[in-house]
Amino acid sequence: MSAAVTLTPPPEAALSLDIDAVTKSYGPTIALRGVSFDLRRGEVHALLGENGAGKSTLVKILSGIVKPDNGSVRLGGQRFAPHSLMAARAAGVSTAFQELSLLPNLTVATNLTLPKQRKGLLGLASRRLNEAYAAQLLAECDAADISPGALVSDLSLAEKQRVEIVRAVSHRPRLLILDEPTAALAEPEWLFRIVERLAASGTGVLYISHRLAEVRRLCRRGTVLRNGESIGTVDLANARDGDIFRMMVGRGAEEPADATATPVRRDAPLAVTLRDLRGPGVDGISLNLHRGEIVGVAALEGQGQRELFRMLGGAAPILSGDVAVEGKPVQFASPLQALRAGIGFVPEERKIEGIFLGLTTASNISLPILGRLLRFGLIDRTRERAEVGRAAALVDLAARYVGMRISALSGGNQQKALIARVLLSGARNLVLFDPTRGVDVGTKEVIYGVIRDFTAKGGSVLLYSTELSELVHLSDRCLALYRGRIVGEAAGAALTEERLVSLATGHGE
Amino acid sequence: MNAPVSNAVTRSLLRRLLGNGTLIVAFIYALLFTIFASRQSDALSQTSITDLFNNAAPLALAAAGGSLVVLTRGFDLSVAGVVALSNVLMATQVGEGPQQALLGLAVVCTAGLLVGAVNGILVAYIRLQSIASTLATMIVTSGLALLVLDAPGGTVPDFVADTLTDSAAGIVPVAALILLAVVLIWLLLRRTDWGVALYAVGADETAAGLAGIRTRRVKFFAYCLAGVFYALSGYMLSALTATGNPNAGNSYLLLTFAAIAIGGTSFSGGRGGVVGAMLGAATLTLLQKVLFSAGVSSFYTGIFQGVVMILAVLVAATSDRFASGRRA
Repeated sequence: MSAAVTLTPPPEAALSLDIDAVTKSYGPTIALRGVSFDLRRGEVHALLGENGAGKSTLVKILSGIVKPDNGSVRLGGQRFAPHSLMAARAAGVSTAFQELSLLPNLTVATNLTLPKQRKGLLGLASRRLNEAYAAQLLAECDAADISPGALVSDLSLAEKQRVEIVRAVSHRPRLLILDEPTAALAEPEWLFRIVERLAASGTGVLYISHRLAEVRRLCRRGTVLRNGESIGTVDLANARDGDIFRMMVGRGAEEPADATATPVRRDAPLAVTLRDLRGPGVDGISLNLHRGEIVGVAALEGQGQRELFRMLGGAAPILSGDVAVEGKPVQFASPLQALRAGIGFVPEERKIEGIFLGLTTASNISLPILGRLLRFGLIDRTRERAEVGRAAALVDLAARYVGMRISALSGGNQQKALIARVLLSGARNLVLFDPTRGVDVGTKEVIYGVIRDFTAKGGSVLLYSTELSELVHLSDRCLALYRGRIVGEAAGAALTEERLVSLATGHGE
Repeated sequence: MNAPVSNAVTRSLLRRLLGNGTLIVAFIYALLFTIFASRQSDALSQTSITDLFNNAAPLALAAAGGSLVVLTRGFDLSVAGVVALSNVLMATQVGEGPQQALLGLAVVCTAGLLVGAVNGILVAYIRLQSIASTLATMIVTSGLALLVLDAPGGTVPDFVADTLTDSAAGIVPVAALILLAVVLIWLLLRRTDWGVALYAVGADETAAGLAGIRTRRVKFFAYCLAGVFYALSGYMLSALTATGNPNAGNSYLLLTFAAIAIGGTSFSGGRGGVVGAMLGAATLTLLQKVLFSAGVSSFYTGIFQGVVMILAVLVAATSDRFASGRRA
């Protein structure tokens, strides 16, 4: 009953992809300034770039989710402007999304057959046929260990990622887009086999990753994106890692010697001590944060880092365990209490948790210290201005922004204001959750500077970032979190992206 | 690699049993019915059972419709307006006889469908908040009901009132047959692409879109079908009360949502279903009867209904948490 599944489309179906000067902006934010490259028939082509370089936007355009403003995309010589995901799929393009598009409340089989279920009697969806189809599909993709009847919410992250890839492959694409496909995969070899098999049969693969080793293994050519522009297409065999990295970030690669030169400040006095901290998603975390130290936290999505940081910021309850600041045990149940205990928290969702969009930047910055600014029970505006001005200067936030509504500021400047706020509060310890997410390169540098400056003055920082390079660059040492526990630590010369990846995927020791 | 997989399957099974709101509400209903039967000697008689079905039917139909919308992570307040509108239409515009009864059915269903379509356009296509849009359509339809009949009165044709509250062949209550038909329709719908998509959209609209589901269309049809169910609810209510009341829908608004919640449908979408909601409605009406038979003043009914709702939601939440094993 179920149609036979074949992963190999006939070779004549192979297509080339030509992307020419594609641009896209969302309101005032320019996502793509001009991207051009071509993908030959049956080629595995790498797309490289930092977070925010425009990779995701390009994936969305090719998948039919957003329309480009300008430029042309041609698939197999034909104009390719899909108006929907299904139209792109019909044209032979299918995508395994980075953010995983599986439905947690449905089974693996149902997810694999969406949007059209296999039908049995009376044209009704048949669980049996669905699962038979899914089992066959999973077996062909060498993923037979995943049960078709299991709910997706019960799968591990790696299993989910494999199902996502199997689903993209199952549409028999002529062009397959893989967006950071190995982010959660413990055994990328599995994926490499599939990609090589598809490529051998003539399917083009656009392989998006920032892991150069993988890219070198699979692809002959790669295109580098930076700030929404395609910087160039390189022949990977003739390009050194350093060259590619320079193209990606627009400057020379940070000398690793820099990072190792920083002494690990274990002898400095303790700033924050966590003893067997537990709560939802956090399963017994102990760590010592010393004065003047930047401790990084590396983890795959959903390993408890969000919960841990929210606990430390007073935004999530601590079920058991102790927190001590400078040797004194502290307890807090709200961000304000955490701040009073000396821990300032910059949350992830700044639009939701961080800022008051209706207020001015100045009011946003001065919020936690309003108590100090009172005179006869009213806010002393002159002193507020002075204090805010001082904090804004610390984070390089231009004075003209201070009086404006914060909603009018760019994401980067909002982030600066948020950091200014915690600095102003006088907290000696900062808990920063992905502070450079979605901000431009210039702002990143400023934020790095602020963090270094803060620790140089004796503050301590616990930093989570989705960008491993950032952790390697900033941290004195870096902890890896896996399933709510600390599974490893890297410092000094051992603090490399590769090391963090293997630790964070639970393959540390 | 094998151990975690078989684990996942066991956990799926566990969750399906424990996290299944329908089972929980069925248990609560059985418990209440036992109490009811022990207090009321004629509880198992033909008339008593027919009454039970008749009284539960309007709320059950309303809850069935509402749960479709709640599954998509929406709220549909227009139930109050549509129930009232279809009640006053039945009390004023329909004559005697089977033909007129069918005509009345067609008229109220069309009205419900239209209101549902407006809701669907506002929520799915214009992307307005579902509470705000359906509040507006509730106010409009309540106003329309007042235009049709400005004070309680009118008569529902005897044919409708008698047939629907009677027993077919003297044994099976007609209301029970209607509810059974709705359950069957739902079981079929659940196994269509739309039925599967309903759960997908409710769980994660973006992911559903990325999986190729036309999310807007799925939501639109959920609101349309919900409107039809509200109209059927009003039709059944008319048969039961045999008269018209432009405010008939008011008491349905909150009870509908209570029934949906008791039935194990999650307000955060993607979990639950129509059968649970109907059982939830039956539980709420049975509770009224139990309290009445126990001689508790009707003023206390609301308090008990609220307590049962909290219990059901609590049981569902804890057993689901237990089944998912996240806190182990």
